[in-house]
Amino acid sequence: MPPTTPQSLRTQSAEAVTGVQLMQGIGIMEAKGFWADAWSQVLKRKMAVAALIWLGFLAALALLAPFLASGHPITLTERLADGSTRVSHPILEYIKSTDMILVIGVPIAIIYILLAPKSGRGSGRAARIGACIVGALLTLAIVVICNVIQGAGSGRDAPAWAKSLGHRLGEVKYFGPVVSGALYVTLGVFLVGCFLPFLPHLRTRILVTLIACLLAGSATSFKWVRPLERFDYTQREASGEATATYTLVPWSPNQRFSELDRQPPLTSFKDAMKFPTDSPVKPRTFVLGTDGLGQDVLSQMMHAARLSISIGIVSTGIAVLIGVTLGALMGYFGGFVDLLLFRVVEIFMAVPLLFLLIVAAAVLPPEMRSTYVMMAIIGCFTWTGAARFTRAEFMKLRSQDFVQSARAVGLPLRAILFKHMLPNGVTPVLVDASFSIAAAITIEATLSFLGLGPADQASWGKLLSSAQTSEGLFKWWLAVFPGLAIFLSVLSYNIVGEALRDAIDPKLKKARV
Amino acid sequence: MGTYLLRRILLMVPTLIGITFLVFMLVALAPGGIGAGLSQSAGAMQSQTAVAQTKARLEDRYGLDDAPPVQYARWLGRISPIKFGARDLAGPGGVLIRSPKPIKDPPMWQWFTDSPLGSLATPLVAAERYESMVGANLSEDDRQERFREAERRYADARAAYIGEVATFKETLGEYARGVGMPNAVDKNGQAKPRLLSKHTPDKSSAAFVKLAAQWPRVQAAYQAAQVTRTDMLAAFKSDPYPKAGLPVIPGVMSLTKPDFGVTFTGSQPVIELIAKRLPVTLLINLVAFPIIYLIAIPGGMIAATKRGSILDVGLGALFIAMWSFPVVLAGVLAIGFLASKEYLGAFPVSGLHDNAADSMHFLPQRTDGVLERGWVLDTVWHICLPVLCLVYGGFAILSKQCRAAMLDNFSADYVRTAKAKGVATRDVVFRHVFRNSLLPLITMFVTIFPAMLAGSVVIEKIFTVPGMGSLMLEAIANRDRELLLANTLMIAAVNLLALLLADIMYALADPRVTYD
Repeated sequence: MPPTTPQSLRTQSAEAVTGVQLMQGIGIMEAKGFWADAWSQVLKRKMAVAALIWLGFLAALALLAPFLASGHPITLTERLADGSTRVSHPILEYIKSTDMILVIGVPIAIIYILLAPKSGRGSGRAARIGACIVGALLTLAIVVICNVIQGAGSGRDAPAWAKSLGHRLGEVKYFGPVVSGALYVTLGVFLVGCFLPFLPHLRTRILVTLIACLLAGSATSFKWVRPLERFDYTQREASGEATATYTLVPWSPNQRFSELDRQPPLTSFKDAMKFPTDSPVKPRTFVLGTDGLGQDVLSQMMHAARLSISIGIVSTGIAVLIGVTLGALMGYFGGFVDLLLFRVVEIFMAVPLLFLLIVAAAVLPPEMRSTYVMMAIIGCFTWTGAARFTRAEFMKLRSQDFVQSARAVGLPLRAILFKHMLPNGVTPVLVDASFSIAAAITIEATLSFLGLGPADQASWGKLLSSAQTSEGLFKWWLAVFPGLAIFLSVLSYNIVGEALRDAIDPKLKKARV
Repeated sequence: MGTYLLRRILLMVPTLIGITFLVFMLVALAPGGIGAGLSQSAGAMQSQTAVAQTKARLEDRYGLDDAPPVQYARWLGRISPIKFGARDLAGPGGVLIRSPKPIKDPPMWQWFTDSPLGSLATPLVAAERYESMVGANLSEDDRQERFREAERRYADARAAYIGEVATFKETLGEYARGVGMPNAVDKNGQAKPRLLSKHTPDKSSAAFVKLAAQWPRVQAAYQAAQVTRTDMLAAFKSDPYPKAGLPVIPGVMSLTKPDFGVTFTGSQPVIELIAKRLPVTLLINLVAFPIIYLIAIPGGMIAATKRGSILDVGLGALFIAMWSFPVVLAGVLAIGFLASKEYLGAFPVSGLHDNAADSMHFLPQRTDGVLERGWVLDTVWHICLPVLCLVYGGFAILSKQCRAAMLDNFSADYVRTAKAKGVATRDVVFRHVFRNSLLPLITMFVTIFPAMLAGSVVIEKIFTVPGMGSLMLEAIANRDRELLLANTLMIAAVNLLALLLADIMYALADPRVTYD
């Protein structure tokens, strides 16, 4: 909490302040918080700003990928047999529920955070970021539960009774909305009551829960049963049945043209498919070429941005959560607890991380290697760094007066560790988190390159691995473009991390002066 | 220092056990479990019963029918240099011969008989047979002959018994489904005896009649297996071959060399495979290290002495860019643009040697006016690109660290004093600052080495270099327990020893550092 100066003592312009005025308390600049100060230091660097712009661009791409790159037309005008036309919007029909939630939810969250009042407890920007994170987790939980329920009846390995039940229920009108609605009400009541108590106000709690439930509820019930993906628009266009208007990148990442594998950039679809020039098929190009399965590279790269960014952030979040908790216990208790837990850390450090990750990813059958599982795997194996940083900090803090007094007052362990010690010792972990995200992106790319990444998911690493054909040919566009994307993202996180560390590390600051 | 080293080495043991256990359990608990590749490879063009029998025999052979922790404990016992109890025999060619494993009772024997062995009174027979084998004063050749014979008969009888049990379990599965216990049957139609043990058999059902008809065959196979095992045990105790290892307390404790077993596929000794592959990985890494240090340190020094100049900023940008450059990308680009025939084609695409490397001279030679590459130059040519990919990342980290350490020392008091005294800038940089900045660079080894070891997995995969990394990938693909565990152990040991080496070097370089 920054020290506040009385309103009357502030001057409007800071330049014209004399020493005397300053002594009188006029023209004092309000002290910035620790993180705000560090952040403004970061923003002074051109490289860091460029890196942040790239990351923002990538995040926007990731958010809007299903709308920017889709093989389903925005509008499809069909000519019916009786001469009338029917206009439909296939792109909206095939949007996944998670995509809808992201596109609606993220702007709401950004506006909510940006509109935070400058002062007042529990309503500042940090509190609102916290509320948004809680809301996101809540939404994620609801969506995952709904997907499990929905998938249980329609999966390939589902038992017969579940399949028939799912089929029968699928025919019941409004089954999806009713089930998800009931689920949200139950979850919502439950969560307002017990899961969210660390949000300060009841009002915030209810708001967050409501928005999350509404979003997840409407999206998943709207999309309870997804239609099977079919891309037969070209045939219909060619026969003159329909005309279609496409998005900016008119391909879906999973849209395959097996006869158009490894086409170089700027290949025209019409020429490659040998359509006559006067055929009514809309001209489309593979701007960055196609991969080994005949899928558009640019579209895949846009969808893969989502994977890379989310895997980087979520797996680092998991790693920090585990690492900080264990590190805090180790550093605070020392002795036997430290000895025991540090052996665990050492075990994880005994072989290079990538080995462990390869083993963990390779033992799973491809159908189980979903994005969420990969996030969990990467998170669960990379926590040792955060644990070591936290341990070292807590060892220093343990003997300090404020901790001693907190203990003497009889505060519960949870409060001592996470309310008093953690804010004072979390800085190195958070600075390191930026590098961890970069490392996680590299790890994801490497695992995908080795064929151990998330299955059925476009990924930069997977594209990279298809650059070398089995005949020993090298298709440069499959290496250069995805490679550049990986490199720039990793570089950006590293630059931001570097800038943040320079802003915070007092030792390096001294060296700079 | 001595006690410190000893303590560090002793602490390595639990770490090594921990990491191998972690890796083993990861594989064992995953769907498919250990040896998932085995049953698949056995499955082509055979009836279901035959597949089940082959699978059961393989599982019995590699001990896969035990719970994972038991398998792990057994592996640990085999690699432990200290052994308790009876010593193994060192067979011809250094193959270790163990005393035969116990045979599991047939499932559900309680339903048919009072004792699984039936009329066969084992202890008596065993004693008699034992007398006949050991008591007679046979020559070594005779004992070996008898042992081989007993071993062969035992192996046949055991395999036959395991096959019978697999068929029996299938019928048992049919029975279990018939009496309404479908969860006591696994995916392959085999019954799970554990779940049936509390069940009172329904003797009137058709499947039970079929079971009862099969039972005599199972029992006969069991008896035969037990009898041949007793023979084998007796032959084993007659010491046909010399005992393995070194007795410490005779009969109780002995020292042997660790036994890493044979691979599941191909039955090669694991230790031989590793002995072939580990030097390759170490070669690439050991070539890379001097290069990293030799280039990175001057780079960091230049950046630090010219602080703030364009050179410094440029080098800084270059370092961070190299550091962020993923190894996979570097490998793909290198192989694509430098090695692929479509582009430059200046380097070999894969492997560690040319096909003709075996017939080459060791050093480059000029024969008939034609320069022949020779074995050494051929190797260098092949490892050029892998080493390049391995080097640049560590180079960036080290340079950055060197620069930071030098800058740290530049602002130290003693440097100001030296400057004030009038020491030449050159001497300040090289004698004072540089020597003091070397220490953190040694500790950087701890960061770089594991990263390079990991990087070599990817690089070995891209450049198809037959090293530890590619061996690890093979081991995981086959779910090969022996290869996986031995590999993990080796990599962990190399890694931990390297870290220990870094600590020792640190103490040697800095007299202030003591570990006592």
